[in-house]
Amino acid sequence: MASANGEDVEFPILCETCLGENPYVRMTKERQGNECRICTRAFTIFRWLPGRGMRYKKTEICPTCAKLKNVCQTCILDLEHGLPVQVRDTALSIQDEVPREESNRRDYLAKMANNLEVMGEQTDFSGKAQPAGREMLKRMARKDPYYQRNRAHICSFFVKGQCTRGSECPYRHEMPQGDAELAKQNIVDRYHGKNDPVARRMLARSLKTDGLDAPDDKSITSLFVLGVDQSVTQADLRDHFLPFGELKSVVVVPKGNCAFVNYKSRAGAEAAALAALSGCSINDKSLKVAWGKPKPKGPKSELAQAQPISNETSAATGSQPPTRANIPPPPGARNNGSALYPSQDPTAQGAYNK
Amino acid sequence: MPKVKSAKWRRQAPPEGWEEIKPTLTEFDQKMRDAENESSAGKRRVEATWSVMRVHHQRSRYIFDLYYSRELITQQLYEYCLKNGHGDRNLIAKWKKQGFEKLCCLQCIQPRDTNYGTTCICRVPKANLEEGRTVECIHCGCRGCASSD
Repeated sequence: MASANGEDVEFPILCETCLGENPYVRMTKERQGNECRICTRAFTIFRWLPGRGMRYKKTEICPTCAKLKNVCQTCILDLEHGLPVQVRDTALSIQDEVPREESNRRDYLAKMANNLEVMGEQTDFSGKAQPAGREMLKRMARKDPYYQRNRAHICSFFVKGQCTRGSECPYRHEMPQGDAELAKQNIVDRYHGKNDPVARRMLARSLKTDGLDAPDDKSITSLFVLGVDQSVTQADLRDHFLPFGELKSVVVVPKGNCAFVNYKSRAGAEAAALAALSGCSINDKSLKVAWGKPKPKGPKSELAQAQPISNETSAATGSQPPTRANIPPPPGARNNGSALYPSQDPTAQGAYNK
Repeated sequence: MPKVKSAKWRRQAPPEGWEEIKPTLTEFDQKMRDAENESSAGKRRVEATWSVMRVHHQRSRYIFDLYYSRELITQQLYEYCLKNGHGDRNLIAKWKKQGFEKLCCLQCIQPRDTNYGTTCICRVPKANLEEGRTVECIHCGCRGCASSD
């Protein structure tokens, strides 16, 4: 009987923590034992005891899915660093290309399964191209295996006070520790690297240590970029920071070798800061990114100042929150009637909402 | 297999001494019937058959005890009881062997029933368990049937 998942696997793809401390692990192998949690195809389950007093662990996702993301088949953490997929992908700027819908996913996985056999590894998971990202991952990774993860699950009856099994109950009789938020994890989200609460917390902590954590003043939507010399133009900066959110303006200050990147929304700025964790480089120049107080001196502010009909009582300081009363005049009325649409203004992107 | 007698059997009278042990054996029959008819509410899936296994063990133990330990019944009566399903011949055979004196049931020493070809955890002496956790084996709910326990 040919195994549906391709070649017959001798040994699963596992991390050291999942295997446990005993070098003489006994494992059972069951062909077509279960369906993969991600792609729902049948695959070979391996089941073993990762140490005394631990629960039995088994492979949860198929080897194809695991190879696509370079993760352990049981814990879905990166094989090299033991970090969640979202953390590693953010650091190394890897995009999640695995589609979510059933039929798309199946097709994609089937195609990738063939590719893996034929061409070998494609995505660079160790971040050779991104040394800054790799450094960050090394810092965040655990040094030793964390065997606590292999303990039995918490007895839900005990938590309610209703465990009748008492001392022979194989589950842990402890109260759950840690945040309730972190407990809400979904295997599919963890695999794709989206919406992972653990990853979010790790990244937030790392931002803090990098000095890139979000300032408390929620209205600051600007990033301060250092290392901007002659070769990095405003257009380059714009291109680099555009994908994270709508830009309000980009101001280059040649004297200080720096630049300000102002976003329309806070979320955009935060996304850019997150991505800049893994190092920001434009035109082969590596730049340092930090949060800043905006001091825009771009053409847009000049535009605003030049207007005779000035609805914007708050001049061009981006730090002031937008108010509903300041509805901008219709496009034709600006600039003495010359048809200059907001989209024609190079420093204003999208809806003009001030 | 209790008490399904063939035509030849029905003609034979039970051997001497039967009347003394008959009430206890009837009691065991009753207990077994109760165990079979128990509701399975509040029990785990495996736990349902544990009481049946327990009565089976107790019944066989009684016969074994009478014949081998206390020598109160004749061999004829012993054979008669076993033939009529009041005791498990195979289980008693194990009890005669060294190390299996307190064996709970035959499933627990069957290596074919386990993943790694071992015996059930109830066969491990408590001294070797080192966990302080009581084990109930899945086959019969036994908490340890090693001879040293």
